[in-house]
Amino acid sequence: MSTTTTRGLLEVSGLSKAFGGVHAVDDFSFAAKPGEIVGIIGPNGAGKTTVFNLVTGVYAADRGSVLLDGVSLCGRRQDQIAREGIGRTFQNIRLFKGLNVLENVMTASDPTAPYGFFSAILSLPAKRGSDRQEAKKGREYLSLVGLSGLEDARPESLPYGMQRKLELARALAIGPKVILLDEPAAGLNPSEVREFIDLVQRLHERFNFTIVFIEHRMEVVMNLSHKLFVLSFGKLLASGEPLEVRHNPEVIEAYIGEED
Amino acid sequence: MLQNIFFGLSLGAVYSLVAVGFALVFNILKFSNFSHGGVMSFTAYAGYLAYIMLFDGHISGSWMFLAIVTTAAVVGALTAIVIERVGFRRLRRNNAPVIYYFISSITLGILLENIITIFASSNFYSYPLFFSSNNIALFGTTFSVADVVTLLVSSGALIILLLVLYRSKLGLGVRTVSFDVNTASLMGIDPDLVVMATFAMSGALGGISGVFLGMNYSLYPQLGQLVVKGFVASVIGGLGSITGAVIGALLLGIVEVALIGVVGSGWMPACVFVIMLVFLLVRPRGIAGVIVQEKA
Amino acid sequence: MDYIYSILTLTGITMIGVMGTYMVTGLTGQFSFGQAAFMAVGGYVSAMLALKYGVPFALAALIGSAAAALSGLLVGMPTVRLRRDYISLVTFGFGEAIISVLNNSAQLTGGAEGLVGIPKRVDLPLVMASVVVCLFLVACYKNSKYGRQCLALRTDELAARSMGIDVNRLKLVTFLFASAITGYAGVLYAFYAQYLEPGYFNWTVSAEWLIIVFVGGINSLTGAMVSAVILTSLPEFLRFASAWRIIIYCIIVLLIINFRPNGIFGDWEISRLWKKKTTVKGGQA
Repeated sequence: MSTTTTRGLLEVSGLSKAFGGVHAVDDFSFAAKPGEIVGIIGPNGAGKTTVFNLVTGVYAADRGSVLLDGVSLCGRRQDQIAREGIGRTFQNIRLFKGLNVLENVMTASDPTAPYGFFSAILSLPAKRGSDRQEAKKGREYLSLVGLSGLEDARPESLPYGMQRKLELARALAIGPKVILLDEPAAGLNPSEVREFIDLVQRLHERFNFTIVFIEHRMEVVMNLSHKLFVLSFGKLLASGEPLEVRHNPEVIEAYIGEED
Repeated sequence: MLQNIFFGLSLGAVYSLVAVGFALVFNILKFSNFSHGGVMSFTAYAGYLAYIMLFDGHISGSWMFLAIVTTAAVVGALTAIVIERVGFRRLRRNNAPVIYYFISSITLGILLENIITIFASSNFYSYPLFFSSNNIALFGTTFSVADVVTLLVSSGALIILLLVLYRSKLGLGVRTVSFDVNTASLMGIDPDLVVMATFAMSGALGGISGVFLGMNYSLYPQLGQLVVKGFVASVIGGLGSITGAVIGALLLGIVEVALIGVVGSGWMPACVFVIMLVFLLVRPRGIAGVIVQEKA
Repeated sequence: MDYIYSILTLTGITMIGVMGTYMVTGLTGQFSFGQAAFMAVGGYVSAMLALKYGVPFALAALIGSAAAALSGLLVGMPTVRLRRDYISLVTFGFGEAIISVLNNSAQLTGGAEGLVGIPKRVDLPLVMASVVVCLFLVACYKNSKYGRQCLALRTDELAARSMGIDVNRLKLVTFLFASAITGYAGVLYAFYAQYLEPGYFNWTVSAEWLIIVFVGGINSLTGAMVSAVILTSLPEFLRFASAWRIIIYCIIVLLIINFRPNGIFGDWEISRLWKKKTTVKGGQA
């Protein structure tokens, strides 16, 4: 499962989206090279999550383009974009409550599982074999994020930090080239945050996928990102190396009143 | 021709009362409230009961009509308030998924219908003739008085509703809560009160439409199943939109009358289904075009 | 004895009908208000084939179920991509449309007087065997990638899409399968009762099925089946007047919604009794 990928080039240019006259995202461009970890920061309401929703096809962009390895994702359905290789997590954890932990991870490989309707309703060997394979892979992903032994648990019964990890495992299971993390450290306590940074770094070393994340906590931003993009009122305010962005006066001004 | 259009409009006016009663609740709690049908049956019978026990022999004609409509509106408002308490208050506290509201509303609708069945034992009753069967001559054709009254009363009720919604503090509360319950409570609006008031308004409209439906079709426990007309109308109009619901209802009324003329009343439901399907394909968001976007 | 026999048969047929509703509602979270109409399609198509063309029962049953699935395609195609509220509307409209068609083509279907003289080909053992087979198929479906994806999209369509799940397609497949199963319930009914009338397939039947699924626990096939047995057969034995029976139904549902929102069984399935072990074994592998 650990295929070292050299793909995962994400190029977003001129992205714009307005909701009833409010420009949530206005002519925003950014790029992530294969294997790069890119952070998007900005004050609340700057349009960061909207950028993710535009990239993953939740909303259709008014203008602009999204290219993954040179292939345009515009006009594609959300599920097609996911299968193209963009995995994501959500700001307000969105796990599937009717399914247990392992099944949550398996839903990511289900869309491409190689058996048909009749194998399913008759529980033919093809189905059982494929399900076993999926379960095995699912367990591996769970052990990668440190959730081994919790396969049968209900996701909503897990503590918050573990739910974040489960969401991460689920996003890993689609075999993404690019993974989008929406405030992955929100709600974690300081020791969990450090653990989370380690986890992301470990996964990144192993899979070498491209990571784009939205985050408020400077500890995460500074430790993880290779490159930073600052979004303010839907527009790109600054971009560059984390350290140089951090000392950019405009950025500091945009963040006045925001805690870091 | 003109006469038929007018008949369609008057039918559509009744549908629009139903549809708006339906849309009001959808607007605020985002579910399709089928208990509205139960309210309509219930009030139609309540109006009849009031007629037998209170008004008969004291007043007649238009006054009788007004008395019955008023009674039905009041009973409707009260019934809807009770329904909200029994069926939805707890669900809101539990933050239950929409599915539950939906099931609860269907159940309450069926419950009311069967309570009526037990007491009225599926007999058909009918209202007295309120208006002389004279027709009004206008523009070279004749219109029935009942249709004219239906149109007038429905428009009156809707105008009052719009005034309440857009000119009063309560209306502001309703619109705020329909936008976002949490923000509303932050702004010092009591959502319980607003939801209750919305149900009361919806119930009052249900009461008025119940009487009209009773006049048109006589009384039977399943009368409230005509709530579906309101549902269809508000889908055509755009779920949750008040103006959309009115437009959708008027269109539905005219189309139905036209279809009865062309294919007969037996085939009408099948044709309405096909039209609705086509409409949903061509313009799924309805005439008003509000799309309730999921938040990511 | 005959009375008990007939109650058991009808309960079995209801169980199969409820399976269809369970799939649409329990698995994909949609509300079909016209599920009974698919039963009508299955029943009428197979019965007319047998009556007018002398088609043997097995073939008629197959064609009847297929016709129900086909009508499911007609209804499902335009609706799966719409908001969930619409599917209840469209299925409702479809149910009313079917009834109006049946009522208005008297020379073909017997109209409101009903279709009479259907040969008797269904008895209790066949119904029971059908329940077992259908239950097996539905349980396997739930337990496969289809079932998992359905449950995922039922809780959160947006997140399901972001996992690469083709939500619309999955809803449609499930809807077709459910229509076929419900259609088969109609076939069984036709060849058991030997008589069909449009009024029997009213939307209140669909609503009753919904209530049964809900009472059992919206996530549990086991629950749906148990509640189908209790809610259909018990009142028959107690011989309530039907209005009272429905009132009792409604009160139970309201109590459950308010005080036990996950239904009697929640998401518990009887298969957990033996499934637990395999999971543990798999865990060690």
